[in-house]
Amino acid sequence: MAKKIGVYVCECGGNIAEKVDIEKVITAVSPLKNVEVAERHKLLCSEGGREFLKQSIAKHGLTHVVVAACSPKQHEVTFMNVCKEASLNPQLFQLVNIREQCAWVTPNGEEATDKAIRQTRAAISRVRYHSPLEKKETECSPDVLVIGGGIAGIKASQLLAAPDRRVYLVEKTFSLGGKVKSFSKLFINMESGLSLMEQEIKSLLGNENVEVLTESEVEQILGFLGNFEVKIVKKAENEELNFNVGAVILATGFDLFNPKGLPQYGYGKLDDVYTSLEFEEMNIPDGPSGGKILLKNGKPPESVAIIHCVGRKEKDYCSKVCCLYSLKFDRMLKSQLPAVKVSHFYPDLCIPGKSFQKFYEDTKELGVEFVRSAKTEVAGNAKGTTIKYETETGSKGDLVADMVILIPAMESSSDAQKFAEMLNIPQDEKGFFAEEHQLLAPVASAVEGIFVIGCAGGPQSISESIVQAEAAAGKILSALVPGRKLELEVRTSEISEDFCTGCKTCIDVCPYGAITFNETRRISVVNEVLCHGCGSCAAACPSGAAKLRHFTFSQIYQELKEVVR
Amino acid sequence: MASTQRGAIFPAEGGGEGGVLDFIKQALGKGCFDAVLVPAKLSGSDSFTYSLIKDESLLKDTYPICPIMPVQGAKALSSLTGRGKGKKGIAALVRPCEVRATVELFKLGQVDLGNIFLISIDCPGALPLADWAKDPKKAEEAFSELLKGGASESLRPVCRICDKFSTTGGEDLHIGILGAKSGRIFLIPSSPKGKNILDCIGISVEEDISEWKDKVDRLTEERREKRRQAQKELEAKAVGLDKLLDVFSKCINCHNCMRVCPICYCRQCFFDSDNMKFAFEDYLRRAEMMGGLRLPPETLLFHLGRMLHMSLSCVSCGACEDACPTSIPVAQVFSLVGDKNQKEFDYVPGRSLNEPLPLRVYEEKEFEEVEQSYVETSAKQEAQDA
Repeated sequence: MAKKIGVYVCECGGNIAEKVDIEKVITAVSPLKNVEVAERHKLLCSEGGREFLKQSIAKHGLTHVVVAACSPKQHEVTFMNVCKEASLNPQLFQLVNIREQCAWVTPNGEEATDKAIRQTRAAISRVRYHSPLEKKETECSPDVLVIGGGIAGIKASQLLAAPDRRVYLVEKTFSLGGKVKSFSKLFINMESGLSLMEQEIKSLLGNENVEVLTESEVEQILGFLGNFEVKIVKKAENEELNFNVGAVILATGFDLFNPKGLPQYGYGKLDDVYTSLEFEEMNIPDGPSGGKILLKNGKPPESVAIIHCVGRKEKDYCSKVCCLYSLKFDRMLKSQLPAVKVSHFYPDLCIPGKSFQKFYEDTKELGVEFVRSAKTEVAGNAKGTTIKYETETGSKGDLVADMVILIPAMESSSDAQKFAEMLNIPQDEKGFFAEEHQLLAPVASAVEGIFVIGCAGGPQSISESIVQAEAAAGKILSALVPGRKLELEVRTSEISEDFCTGCKTCIDVCPYGAITFNETRRISVVNEVLCHGCGSCAAACPSGAAKLRHFTFSQIYQELKEVVR
Repeated sequence: MASTQRGAIFPAEGGGEGGVLDFIKQALGKGCFDAVLVPAKLSGSDSFTYSLIKDESLLKDTYPICPIMPVQGAKALSSLTGRGKGKKGIAALVRPCEVRATVELFKLGQVDLGNIFLISIDCPGALPLADWAKDPKKAEEAFSELLKGGASESLRPVCRICDKFSTTGGEDLHIGILGAKSGRIFLIPSSPKGKNILDCIGISVEEDISEWKDKVDRLTEERREKRRQAQKELEAKAVGLDKLLDVFSKCINCHNCMRVCPICYCRQCFFDSDNMKFAFEDYLRRAEMMGGLRLPPETLLFHLGRMLHMSLSCVSCGACEDACPTSIPVAQVFSLVGDKNQKEFDYVPGRSLNEPLPLRVYEEKEFEEVEQSYVETSAKQEAQDA
């Protein structure tokens, strides 16, 4: 069948027309081989523009379409959908960006027009070599593996479990509830963390679509979105479990920075210096002290010093929730020991949000002292513990305190590296799992189908962790619909068996782990489910065995040839 | 390492080559390996070819110190193990440049070193293939003169400026024949596998080998200087598009250089593929644009493409130049480009099996100068020029 190419140049209101001489572009491309029709339009992306395009494709019986308009980021999908509506395979379309790449950046009108002509010509030359790539689908499992039984993992499991979606919640310790369970009171509403978690756990265990695996370790996860093979070992029974899931949620939480590494705080050496978690434990009603705040000598403290930002400088980030929960400590101390003297030593206070400032002001009203100190040290002598501090202006002071509570930085879980290696997902420079995009994809990891929620991705408050659990659940619910197949990217890479020499260079450069080596055939093979079509392999392959569909050598050659002509 | 390096001393009454063969014979006899890959002159032929020898009696026809390099040893090893290693141990007696090419092919998955013992020998260099073909007798005389310490002018130009003619680090065992008082050679293990061979034949590796080492260091320094000088002269003749076109103007597009290159491991060269065949109109349009078009086209592009693909792994073995029917100094040009490119990545091909190929290493910050935008660089320059 003879090729019939339609070329449409968009004025984009005045955005393009004011700089580029559109008539000149039309005149230049009209006589080119296979060009059936070349027309202009005021605004092709508008409803009227799309209708015009659709009818024109049908009227001229076009086999290929070129639109010269804006960035593909903006309207490539729009125009591809128009092609689809006009019963033309959307891959037989090419968008030329004469707005961002010509009209907006080339000051001289004549030069902008010349550039627009070259680029449109290039697109016409290229589109002739396009293939009608068909969408492919693959079977997928809607089930989900959640790793970590803290608040984030529990919330995500509750949301995802349904009669047609099984959730496996794996926890390495013997019980669910994570760190929140050991908080006797929660910041801002001062409710009991234990009873909140008991409620959540009860609701989770009541859901028969969740399988809770405590005292269990994840041994292996292989696969890709929709098709992960999981191997779990139940440590108590020494039993191995194998199952398939479609997505994985990492909710592995955080560890607390160990203040022993910083001798100036006296932790581990002086009697009544505690970390925040140790203080929390002291307040648990059925804990060792029966919920009583007591010194090692069995007496209640008369004065308490709370030291902020322990390890912040070493970690080089703010853990963002510490200032808030330290205010909660003031309330806990004051409600149990009304006469206790509480002093905070902080280099910076971080109290954002709509209701936190008031909580802080009210706390101060209780008679809690806040001392801004650039340098704080804890020294011990026969009389007790002394806090030595230095204010911003350099004046030094000291204060005797019976009890010291250190507020250490939150750091990445000791398991993080194991999972990063197992799943081939990157960690950031602080050791937390890196998000796919800090702003645009905050709960996705670099690997499709693997999500990171709660403190596994960096310090978070309880409510933020829950928001992330809900976000990841939403992503999974929309991506893996039971019974529906997974639609795959069509512009993927393929490796020619005839040309591949098995040097594995492509495997090293693939950022998605989408290429594997077939040992029997001694060639590299692309997994189309994992391939995002970035083209790294095609660029790296010396033999031309790796090819990127829709960006083949001839397509690029034909395009470039016209640009430089 | 330096002067404290130790090794074994092996008797070589019949000269260096004789010593090497005695050593191989002993090792074969004791079953340290099952066969040996070595240049041989079999069935009365006039030339040499890599042969896999199992029968000890055939060793008399082998030439571990061979006057020419008809096939690059790495290519021979690739054909032997490209489909995986065998069950039996094989010793490969090759030149240092062949070891280095083998190491590169190993990284590229084209050689399996599983049961291979890579043994290199101090290389006196090789004669041009063409000289050998023209008059083997005369060439043989020139080579034996050279071994006795004669002038190196009969060697191939790349061999004359080779500064990696001795141990390279990539082999299992190196045989030193330089600086030996007549009647002995040095065996220097570079890997546990190499040490195993010496243990197997039961000789001590604790001997002082500084006599050999000093000679190697001295000659290396000499050659480095020669290489610098020669490359400087070549730069004046070959750098820049016009000069490069001049150098390759004699190219007849036979692609022999690619076919004999050990690093060119592609099943089919991209430049021989359909990707490089265009429609008649294309050629006509290019002729129109440039006023004329040389056919077959893409001659220089082929060499540039090959440089791009293999120069980081180029070991300056000279196989390409030997194979060029029109005597283009291909190996000298490729060595020059290779040296420069390799330096950019602080990469030495063949230095170590564990050193990853630069293309496979991701560095977040690298060559930042080329990442600067047009506005930051060229535009400023253009404005100044205007």
